[in-house]
Amino acid sequence: MTDKITILKVEGLTVYQGNYQAIRDVSFELLSGTNTAIVGPNGAGKSTLVQAILDLIPRSSGQIEIFGRPISKLGNLRHQLGYIPQHFIFDRSFPISVAELVGLGWNKNYKEIQRQKKQGKFSWVFATIARISPQNQEKTAAVAAALRRTDAYHLRNQAIGTLSGGQLKRVLLAYCLVMPRKLLILDEAFAGVDVQGTADFYTLLNELKQEEGWTVLQVSHDINMVSNYCDRVICLNQTIICTGAPAIALSAANLLATYGPGFSRYQHHH
Amino acid sequence: MNFFAVTTISELVALLQYPFMQRAIVGAVLMGMLGGLLGSFVTLRQLSFFSHAVGHAALVGITLGVLLQLNPTWMLLPSSLAFGVIVLYFIEKTDLASDSILSIILSGALAIGIILSSLIQGYRGNLMAVLFGDILAIDRKDLILTVLLLAASAIFLFSTLGQQILLTLNPAVAKVQGIAVELHRYCFIVLLSLAVAVAIKAVGVLLVNAFLVIPASTAKLISHHFRRFLLLSVLIGSATSIIGMIVSGLFNFASGPSIVLVQFVVFIGTFGWTRLWKRCGKKFS
Repeated sequence: MTDKITILKVEGLTVYQGNYQAIRDVSFELLSGTNTAIVGPNGAGKSTLVQAILDLIPRSSGQIEIFGRPISKLGNLRHQLGYIPQHFIFDRSFPISVAELVGLGWNKNYKEIQRQKKQGKFSWVFATIARISPQNQEKTAAVAAALRRTDAYHLRNQAIGTLSGGQLKRVLLAYCLVMPRKLLILDEAFAGVDVQGTADFYTLLNELKQEEGWTVLQVSHDINMVSNYCDRVICLNQTIICTGAPAIALSAANLLATYGPGFSRYQHHH
Repeated sequence: MNFFAVTTISELVALLQYPFMQRAIVGAVLMGMLGGLLGSFVTLRQLSFFSHAVGHAALVGITLGVLLQLNPTWMLLPSSLAFGVIVLYFIEKTDLASDSILSIILSGALAIGIILSSLIQGYRGNLMAVLFGDILAIDRKDLILTVLLLAASAIFLFSTLGQQILLTLNPAVAKVQGIAVELHRYCFIVLLSLAVAVAIKAVGVLLVNAFLVIPASTAKLISHHFRRFLLLSVLIGSATSIIGMIVSGLFNFASGPSIVLVQFVVFIGTFGWTRLWKRCGKKFS
């Protein structure tokens, strides 16, 4: 078994939205090949935390390192990072097919750039020519494989504006799967997906983690699925209330501390 | 009663022999292609009203050119560019809705333009040309400028096509992939503002927006594949320009409005055809 390395490191992260302190002094680390869930009530700052990690919103203080580097200095390593936002807002009449959308996640010259950089031969001329050249077979095959893996291959020629909420989530996951990633960040990516679909997604994430060493950070409201599939849970309510393995972090006392009085847990089985 | 200004093929061929007519046709096709190319992203990024506002702001540049006795065309370019960048800056840096900002800039620019024009002594023919344009008056310099702009736009958009699509579709996901969203937006606005400025001489402030919006909107009705949509938009932009110029020559209509009329008819025809096709599709499925 290979040694686990730190994929994401968050230190003393504080985020203000106007005068409101949305996140206070959050610190944690993610190791490679792990699946971590952030849980907490609405307004706890889960999406804000994810957006701050990804540098989509400014942070007031704190340090964030992804793959050992500040996010602003990730460069080509960004292609090893996949992200599905909570709300993928887009113009429903946007003329783009499912296969084209998934293809946007593909960086065909990624491997070649890495090879050339290692040899000290990297050329922007090559990168530009590769970018504007017609779609290659490797990309078409990768798109098809990603769509098959998320059970969305039959949708490949459909316009994305015609997809249901659950279908769109499958396609967005395929967008992330079209090339190998080291870190996948999912912000309530399974909201709107039916029970069987959610179970399929968690199984797929488990495969990616175990077979390909992907690291997953996900925001979730599904405590039962988190208990069954995640290695670690971060209970968040502005700051970290508790963290640890699901059996510990999701204890009745910790959930009460995170969600407040009135919280009760309903079991479902799949 | 004869509606035709040109009644025989030989007369039409003779008309096409004139250098000004050849320049006008080449210019119209180039502008049709440029409008179709940039217009694809204009319609998807909800910038239709943006080009309208920049077009009206061009009035300030033209009036300043006349007042300062400089070439109005060369004043048009920097003024359009400045207004385009200012509008985008306000949109990005304030919480106000973009249509409010565009209305504010458009109204302010129009007011400045009208006040400045009142200071012009004597003949104001240049100002009428700004409003309605004259494609037959475009010269060699205008054509070179249009070719350069078309080449720059094509290189910029095609070399970054995937990034352009992603940042148009969802800026947050684009940012995570390392795409410099703001820089790309400013680069696009620079190209768009220059395209509006160049097209104003040919079709005027009042119709310039049609070149950007109608071909792309027509293409959007037909295709839901991005590459096909982009290609169709460019093809419709150039084809309607040629047909519009022929219509203009045949009926002795003003050239700019003739092209826009053809674009409009093609849009309405495409809309009707797609509705019918969908209805038949539903019926037979």
